[in-house]
Amino acid sequence: MSSLVKAEQGTSVAVPQDESQYLTFILGGEMFAIGILNIKEIIEYGHLTEVPMMPAFIRGVINLRGRVVPVIDLRSRFGKPSTEVTKRTCIVIIEVQVAGGAEDEGTTQDIGVVVDSVSEVLEIATQDIEPPPAFGAHIRTDFIQGMGKVNGQFVIILSVENVLSVEEMAALGQGMDVATA
Amino acid sequence: MGMEEALQTFFVESHELLQEMEDRLLAIQGLVVDEDRIEAINAIFRAAHTIKGSAGLFGLDGIVEFTHVLESVLDKVRSSQLVMDADMISLFLKCKDHVSLLVGLEESGGVLQGSDQATGQALVAQLSAYLQAPQTNTVHEEKTHPAITYPHLDPLALESAGGGVVDNDNWHISIEFGPDVLRNGMDPLSIFRYLGTMGTIVQVGTFFDRLPGLSEMDPETCYMSYLINFSSEADKTTIESAFEFVQEDCKINILPPHSRIADFVSVIKGLPQHDLRIGEMLVQCGTLTERELAAVLAYQAAQESGQNSTEAGTKQPLGEMVVQAGFVQPAVVEAALQKQSQQKKTKARQQQSIRVDAEKLDMLINLIGELVIAGAGVNIVAQRSGRADMLEAASTLSRLVEEVRDGALNLRMVQIGETFNRFQRVVHDVAKDLGKEIELLISGGDTELDKTVVEKIGDPLTHLVRNSIDHGIETADIRAARGKPAQGKVHLNAYHDSGSIVIEVQDDGGGLNRDKILAKALEKGLVESVHEMSDSDVFQLIFEAGFSTADTVSNISGRGVGMDVVRRNIEALRGNIEIQSKYTVGTTIRIRLPLTLAIIDGFLVRVGQSHYVIPLDMVIECVDLPEENLNSSKGSNYFSLRGEVLPYMRLRDTFEIDGESGRRESVVIVKYGNTRAGLVVDTLLGEFQTVIKPLGKLFERIKGIGGSTILGTGEVALILDIPNLVQQVVRKDHHESSRLQVRH
Repeated sequence: MSSLVKAEQGTSVAVPQDESQYLTFILGGEMFAIGILNIKEIIEYGHLTEVPMMPAFIRGVINLRGRVVPVIDLRSRFGKPSTEVTKRTCIVIIEVQVAGGAEDEGTTQDIGVVVDSVSEVLEIATQDIEPPPAFGAHIRTDFIQGMGKVNGQFVIILSVENVLSVEEMAALGQGMDVATA
Repeated sequence: MGMEEALQTFFVESHELLQEMEDRLLAIQGLVVDEDRIEAINAIFRAAHTIKGSAGLFGLDGIVEFTHVLESVLDKVRSSQLVMDADMISLFLKCKDHVSLLVGLEESGGVLQGSDQATGQALVAQLSAYLQAPQTNTVHEEKTHPAITYPHLDPLALESAGGGVVDNDNWHISIEFGPDVLRNGMDPLSIFRYLGTMGTIVQVGTFFDRLPGLSEMDPETCYMSYLINFSSEADKTTIESAFEFVQEDCKINILPPHSRIADFVSVIKGLPQHDLRIGEMLVQCGTLTERELAAVLAYQAAQESGQNSTEAGTKQPLGEMVVQAGFVQPAVVEAALQKQSQQKKTKARQQQSIRVDAEKLDMLINLIGELVIAGAGVNIVAQRSGRADMLEAASTLSRLVEEVRDGALNLRMVQIGETFNRFQRVVHDVAKDLGKEIELLISGGDTELDKTVVEKIGDPLTHLVRNSIDHGIETADIRAARGKPAQGKVHLNAYHDSGSIVIEVQDDGGGLNRDKILAKALEKGLVESVHEMSDSDVFQLIFEAGFSTADTVSNISGRGVGMDVVRRNIEALRGNIEIQSKYTVGTTIRIRLPLTLAIIDGFLVRVGQSHYVIPLDMVIECVDLPEENLNSSKGSNYFSLRGEVLPYMRLRDTFEIDGESGRRESVVIVKYGNTRAGLVVDTLLGEFQTVIKPLGKLFERIKGIGGSTILGTGEVALILDIPNLVQQVVRKDHHESSRLQVRH
């Protein structure tokens, strides 16, 4: 592991060796990928309850077999207009580590992510993953874990912990007062 | 029960005993009646004794060593050789803390720190000082005392009854022959010979103190008294039989050997759990004979009737009497008494409680939560099917589910009294530190609330109580100048009020100085102008971080950290906190908390396509929105409810829900504390019991939504947090009106 880190020093890429499978999906015409180990399931879009006074990228909550799971609109999270719901729209349930405060140790939370459509599960070798470009991807650099090369095309591999950072999203939700949301 | 389990029980019991010890120690100063004091001292002693004994069983030497010293001092207090004063109480409290620490360390497997070890040694040194102090006067008094109350005694018997003389492993028999023994044909010598057949007479002391001068002496009268040191394996009844023919007119005391005491104690401990009287218990273990018991009982009865006529004194306990009469050693009676109280206790406890793992309980409540949701689903299906029998079955089911839910929630409810009682100690310590005289009054201790809430309320409450003592209660001279009694009062109170529990911390101290707070707030830039701020707004300022008006910082409070933490803790429990105060008169801090964190009764409403749940205890009534207010969201947001002004908000606007409201709109009128408000919704859907599902970290900062719940349809509905919601709207209104003023 130490040799791996050394080899990739100077980049923000730190892909564990075992994480070589990725789920690819389409969002606003672009292809993205998420490491498969974080993904719990993919469900049909529907029965969403909106939560008022929250930023637009928080679509609402759903009932996932008795648990209430928040749903994030990734397009809004990237600062783009939110996605139209179609027949192929899905919710990908992703498990996210929540860094705990002083009292409780880190726990996990399930978060749903709305995507236009899911494509397939791909294997991307570590050497086929490039560091993220400084600009040009139209989304925040820290959201990108790396650029995967698939059939000569680039796929944006998302950094789940940054994109779905509960702390950051909760902080954005703060200050959303009545009727100013 | 395995060793590990037994050890766990020991830890739990030790903590309980220590708690009792502390409570008693704190209460003891206020006890005026001697009997209560004695009872309290005995309870304290028993606690120390039991902990020592149990710790010995588990080989926890550190605890045994320390509690032994503590027990010795307590023993002296118990036997009135030492008088328990305030210093001693403080010392005992510290000792109690140390024992707690020791037990805690054993529990967690920790190691005693150097500093704690030093504390322990210091405490032992202080305790030992009490042990060495000679207080012979009281000892003497105690010894002569029984001679007055019990005429049957002679000095001889007394010596052995005191317990100090009996120091070897032999029976001690003291016999004072009656004057007519010889005339009745009895020869004391033959009795001794008969005794000799049962064991060995080690030593005989002969006493002639009754022998008159030679001229007055009657050779036919027996003047002799003997103290016999007798070694035998026989039991007391057998030995007593040797004196069968002379016991009528002789005074006989047979005291068992010391080594037997342990046997007796263990026999007593091993007695079956029956309701035994103390006399019966002593007879069963063989330390008291039937004859002795009968004699003592008769004497007790005689004494009682005698007392009734003279109307003096109270009934003397049997245990005390048999000791005084020299029939039994005190240690044996003590053991029997303990056994007796233990029997009473186990009886009481069996009725009171069983211990259940909190996790099991939580699991059960979670399951019941699911059951409630499933039950709601069944109801919906039943209604849709329209079958009468199905509907009936479903309604029976939901009624039962409701009962089960209430029962399960009740399991989690605990009384707040125990938490309150802890503050006796806090008040005692802090008041002593500050040199103030403070009385803590407690009421409403039987108010029940959720265990989780109770656990989390301790810290904020401690802070508030400390604050009251430090900043609230004035020093004695200021109090005197203000015409208040020197002793300050802090009052803890709890009660239920419209679905929440209210906890009050009240003091009769100096109160909050509005001007001082405002001046400080201006200085810190927390407020811009001092105009038009209500008292409660001003007082809320003290909850701001870093706010303190204390001129001096003490080690107890005054640093300005804390009150903001208190407010945060309370808000995390979905509660709120308000202050009422009058300068120089006193302060009341009122904490309002939800009763439970798991399930609530809700009132379901719909706005557009969204469902919302309003906590039912806050709903007062529902009315139709008056005609003139319909579709007038731009106009004034209040209407007249039977002559009273009722402000209302449109949930559709507040939550920015798309779509137009229907032809009819309803108003749900809610109340919390003293505030009333109306919520305008599209449709009322009625009562609904809901399991609160936390929304999670992502939504933790959201104001106005308290949680979520899952409806029978599977849809998620949001639970409104009325106090916060109303506050938000009030704040926004305030904001807008002040903006308007600027524009003009």
